[in-house]
Amino acid sequence: MDVFLQTLVAGILIGGIYCLIGIGMSLIMGVMGIINLAHGQLMMVAMYITFVLSAYMHVDPYFSLIVAMPALFLLGCFLQKYLLNPLMKVESILPENQVLMTVGIGMVLAEIARFIFSSDYKCVKTPYGGSAFFIGNISLNVPMCIAFIFAVVITVALFWFLAKTDTGRSIRATAQDKEAATLMGVNSTRITIITFGMGSALVASAGSLLIPIYYLFPDIGGPFTLKAFVICILGGLGSTVGAIFGGLTLGIAESLGATYIGMGYKDMVGFLIFVLVLVFLPGGLVGIKRLIKS
Amino acid sequence: MRISKILMVIFLSVTLCFTFGVSSSMAAGTVKVGIVLPLTGPQAKFGEIEKLSFDLALEEINAAGGINGKKLILVMEDDTGRPDVGRSVVEKLITKDKVVMLGGGYSSSVTYAVSGVCQQNAMPFLVNTGSADKITGSGWDWIYRLNPPVSHYADAVTSLLIEKVKPKTVAILYENSLFGTKGAGKFEKICKKLGIKVLLKQGYEHGGIDYKPVLTQIKRLNPDIVYMVSYIMDASLLMKQARELKLTPKMFIGGAAGFTLPEFVDNAGKAADKVISATLWHQVLPFPGAMDYYNKFVAKYNRPTEYHGAEAYSACYVIADVLKRAKSFKNTDIKKALSETDMMTVFGPVKFTTWGKLKNQNIAATYVVQWLDGNLELVWPTKHATKKFNYPVNWLKIWGY
Repeated sequence: MDVFLQTLVAGILIGGIYCLIGIGMSLIMGVMGIINLAHGQLMMVAMYITFVLSAYMHVDPYFSLIVAMPALFLLGCFLQKYLLNPLMKVESILPENQVLMTVGIGMVLAEIARFIFSSDYKCVKTPYGGSAFFIGNISLNVPMCIAFIFAVVITVALFWFLAKTDTGRSIRATAQDKEAATLMGVNSTRITIITFGMGSALVASAGSLLIPIYYLFPDIGGPFTLKAFVICILGGLGSTVGAIFGGLTLGIAESLGATYIGMGYKDMVGFLIFVLVLVFLPGGLVGIKRLIKS
Repeated sequence: MRISKILMVIFLSVTLCFTFGVSSSMAAGTVKVGIVLPLTGPQAKFGEIEKLSFDLALEEINAAGGINGKKLILVMEDDTGRPDVGRSVVEKLITKDKVVMLGGGYSSSVTYAVSGVCQQNAMPFLVNTGSADKITGSGWDWIYRLNPPVSHYADAVTSLLIEKVKPKTVAILYENSLFGTKGAGKFEKICKKLGIKVLLKQGYEHGGIDYKPVLTQIKRLNPDIVYMVSYIMDASLLMKQARELKLTPKMFIGGAAGFTLPEFVDNAGKAADKVISATLWHQVLPFPGAMDYYNKFVAKYNRPTEYHGAEAYSACYVIADVLKRAKSFKNTDIKKALSETDMMTVFGPVKFTTWGKLKNQNIAATYVVQWLDGNLELVWPTKHATKKFNYPVNWLKIWGY
């Protein structure tokens, strides 16, 4: 029983971080209708910002959220404004050449990081990095729990923003129907820029929260882009609520897989679920809700 | 629109800049030897310690007159820890740099790929770290190896287990790479022979964030010892998370590699203390120059060195010795000189013979080291040991609970 509970707790905690990564991608997918394949690389940039702040200025990784999130928001806005939006006007064989652009952006970001920091693994040492507390026989890693709490706070803040503010409503309107939103007076170009910035800031927060637990290197982005993609498919494309379910499901599934099938098959479990969802539940977990309604 | 196009051009040109390398020129009165090491990527820390040791040895060799008056040049190439990159840089070294022989070779997977290329091109290759048995066990006659094969890494650990720890049960964790799989497989066989029950043997993909599920499982099985074959980052994470879970077997044993680097104790902190590991070398061993090499390294680079560095340092001296004895720098002459090698290095005596199924293999002993208060100390076999093997260990007290 202890083994099961420990596995479940580990899965939920890591799932919290997965949520942040997934929501960012989902938001961008919902509004722009494109998959941002540079998502993990944006996280990598945020991680290096956190690393530099911590290693050279001794800023605590959690405080560096205040720097990393706005920095990535600006970077995201910049990428959308000058690299992705101009592509919309270009006629091409592939309608998705914005997606191809994100692949390119991801590669460039990874190479720049490799050029500046080399491919070495970097590690940020914090006094609380290895601390843990116990509830019964279940061990809880302190940075993991802090990360989970931050993830919940940031997600709640995001939902409040989307539900209550004018910009938030415009984002939802654009996601539902871009043309109608434009007719209602929403500046959809501005909304896409803000959305991409927000998606980047969200994944930046995930990166900073991962730093005390994990280590970083330039190629760290790829696997996380894949994870974000799996989460979005699990939750239903473009659904932010779905991304939360997707993130938690992936975290728990990986954790259970590692315990009961084998550590080496951890990633396989995630992708197996991904394939099964695509085949049997193309709408993702949100699709189930619709099925029940109809 | 215009700005965006200009930006795109800038982005592209920046990436292009990275792909340009600087090519080296041919100079008279020099001998060029190619060295393949992971200088960037996940195994960069190992590559770094080996490169620094090669540099140290090279300086000394050239200061003492080089190769019969000719200056020895080491052309270092970065394999980034990937077999495909390893193959292509070696092809470049052979065809473009026209090196007379090759050295280096860190990870087993890369070294195996590189060895294949060398065999095809009849290029003598002195491996100093890549340890999978099949590197010298494939019947290739151009491949020579300084370090013992991975199947013998646990020799000293085995005798320590029999005499001191006397475990009944074991859990084995390993990275599912060539080195990890072979090392763990061999240890499992040893355990079966000794009548130690293997409760769990599990591979993992490197780069995991959370090893707690598998460590919890180990905690429930409560084995006497936990044996791990890991590279550097995973080794630190495994020990850190074992501490968080209060996983307390009688002993944690590392199968060399990640468990002996100074970075292990840097990253894992007090979770690294009292952990033991197999090793191939320690500065206190009674080989001429061993302590000297250690002191020189510390003085020059202001950091400790360990067995990987000693392998590289010795390999450089073996290469110099071989080239001095070779009649000419033709591949067959160098090969002949390699086969006739019989010298003493800081790593111990070096002589290439047939060892079981292995060809051109140097026979070297293994030892056990333990992390004591942040220092790596030789604790086994007792005739060479400088510190007493700390056992039994009260892990919870050491970990600060």
